[in-house]
Amino acid sequence: MKSAKHYRFQEDPKKRPQEVYPDAWNKQEPYVAEPELVQAVNLAIHLGRPLLIEGEAGCDKTRLAAAVAYELGLPLERWDVRSTSRAREGLYEYDTILRLHDVEAQKVDKNLGRNPSNPEDYRRFGALGKAFHREESSTVVLIDEIDKADLDFPNDLLAVLDDPWEFFIPETQETITASHQPIIIITSNKEKGNLPAPFLRRCLYYFVEFPNETKRLQEIVESHYKLQAEKAPGEGLVTAAAEKFLEVRREGGLFKIPGTSEFLDWLDALWSFGSKPYTATGLRRMKSIPYPEVLFKLRADWKKYASTS
Amino acid sequence: MNEFHPEQLVEHLFRRIRGDFNLGMREYLTAIELVRSDWSIANPDDLKQALKPLWCHSRKEQRWFATYWEEAMLAQQQSLLRQDKMPSSEEATLPSVPPKRADFPLPTEQVIPPPASTPATSLKPEAEPQLSPYPVRSPLMPTDVDTSIDLENYLPVSRRAMRYTWRYLRRPIADEPRDILDLEATVVQAARDGFFLQPVYRCRDTNHAHLLMFIDQGGSMMPFHRFTRDLVETAHEERSLEHVSIYYFYNAPVQYVYSNSKLSQLVALDEALSHCDNDTSVLIVSDAGAMRGYRKLERFRSMTTFLTQLKQRTSFIGWLNPTPTERWDGTTAEMMSYLVSMEQMDEDGFSNVIDTIRGQA
Repeated sequence: MKSAKHYRFQEDPKKRPQEVYPDAWNKQEPYVAEPELVQAVNLAIHLGRPLLIEGEAGCDKTRLAAAVAYELGLPLERWDVRSTSRAREGLYEYDTILRLHDVEAQKVDKNLGRNPSNPEDYRRFGALGKAFHREESSTVVLIDEIDKADLDFPNDLLAVLDDPWEFFIPETQETITASHQPIIIITSNKEKGNLPAPFLRRCLYYFVEFPNETKRLQEIVESHYKLQAEKAPGEGLVTAAAEKFLEVRREGGLFKIPGTSEFLDWLDALWSFGSKPYTATGLRRMKSIPYPEVLFKLRADWKKYASTS
Repeated sequence: MNEFHPEQLVEHLFRRIRGDFNLGMREYLTAIELVRSDWSIANPDDLKQALKPLWCHSRKEQRWFATYWEEAMLAQQQSLLRQDKMPSSEEATLPSVPPKRADFPLPTEQVIPPPASTPATSLKPEAEPQLSPYPVRSPLMPTDVDTSIDLENYLPVSRRAMRYTWRYLRRPIADEPRDILDLEATVVQAARDGFFLQPVYRCRDTNHAHLLMFIDQGGSMMPFHRFTRDLVETAHEERSLEHVSIYYFYNAPVQYVYSNSKLSQLVALDEALSHCDNDTSVLIVSDAGAMRGYRKLERFRSMTTFLTQLKQRTSFIGWLNPTPTERWDGTTAEMMSYLVSMEQMDEDGFSNVIDTIRGQA
């Protein structure tokens, strides 16, 4: 297996190599990362270990993987974990019923494109499986919201996300070994308590803090609008909105604290929803919060802020 | 003095945090490998940044890590300081010890004058001018300071462990709709018939476990309310348990128990036991006097009556005692533990009690 040690994430989309693999991730993600996070990503790549990212909801944990994939010019495989997800789904799925069906179907239709006597025609790789199977390059694998799955789920992944980076498909008698070390990024909200200790031990851990400074929020807004055709909101409005938003967060007493993504939506609403955008001074002078429906998602929070308007 | 020995630091730190952070040998080796590899670690801050994601797996651990790091840095600096100083000062200052003693003789030393006086007289002239402090070099010993970490984190059974362990309480019976495809049986059937008619389905299993919990509430159980609450919540959350009933009592359930934790809604004990059949698992959570360390015959008597009633209905009875086994001696808890399988409330004890109430032990 080729290691991925030579890759270095620098949080600069311009560093993307000129020649990339045909199936590399092509959508540039605006992402502003703390230097420690960049370091953690590089460390994970260097050590060949999965990187577990935790943090409040809406702090752009998920986008990181795309930003890494884009900058390094690598393909991205995304695995959205659901409450019913099984570890095997990320590796492969085997369609026995289709195979059984094809035995009969090929008598009628000769051009099925699948041959029931070849078991390999009926296995479909999942995100991890694809990453292991890809021979040309390393792959960035995003295992999103791992905490949403069953409690045992992370344990089932233990053996796969470790040396010798391989798994076995009993149906086809194949052993799939990763030809390149995949770069694995896992996100979690800790919704169902801690992840199991043996799993945590194998991962590198990083906690994404909410950017608690007006300047950081401005940077994020800037990088977000740089990639969009829309006109970016005026600097004064961004500053005023960021201050107001941080004030709401600091004041506390909220049951669901709004995150970065809510802030961006709110800013968008302030800027372009009404017939005229809000002005910085107008927003500062307002006692209530405009468009509370964007920020407050629970009745108690809503009551606290929306009822005053 | 500012020399930086990453490996030494890694080792020192690893020894300190290994237990609390639940780290294995592999984490240590990875860290050492990292230090030796071409990953640029030029100063302590680089090392800190690299070790943090590797060894900390929650925000709390990250905060502790910062403290431990400071300590480790300080310890290393001190040890380096001593090493720098020692070689020169050792020869010069060590002989100054006996003369000092001779100058201020202590009454205990006067009992044995000959050995003390001979070196004193010979060394006195040359050592006299030096007024240096006692060269005390204590070896670098990473002491395990009992910080508030353990207190802050006193969780005999974590919520996660509870959820996990409840799962073992099961009595699977295949009586759900037939909706699981049995692939092997289908293939066998098709092979036997020579043609494929329809897939073979199996019934889905359901858990028919019934759980009846009696929880001692209030009084000496006050410090454990957090855990009993977790216990109740996790039992309710565990969807695989078909039926969960929880009753509370104060000290001992006699004629009435309570259906709420505030002990305000009375339920007759007979009614509480009416759904208890020979498949029901009964779990009693109480300290049985071990918390205060007393032995009371009346409590034992009423508890025995209650247990007798239970034993007439089911044999799957377990007792979870939040106090550790060492504290049971000489209390009602010790007496009770001969009558019913009693376990202390930690992860092993909880697993054992689950084994008991599902009829495995």
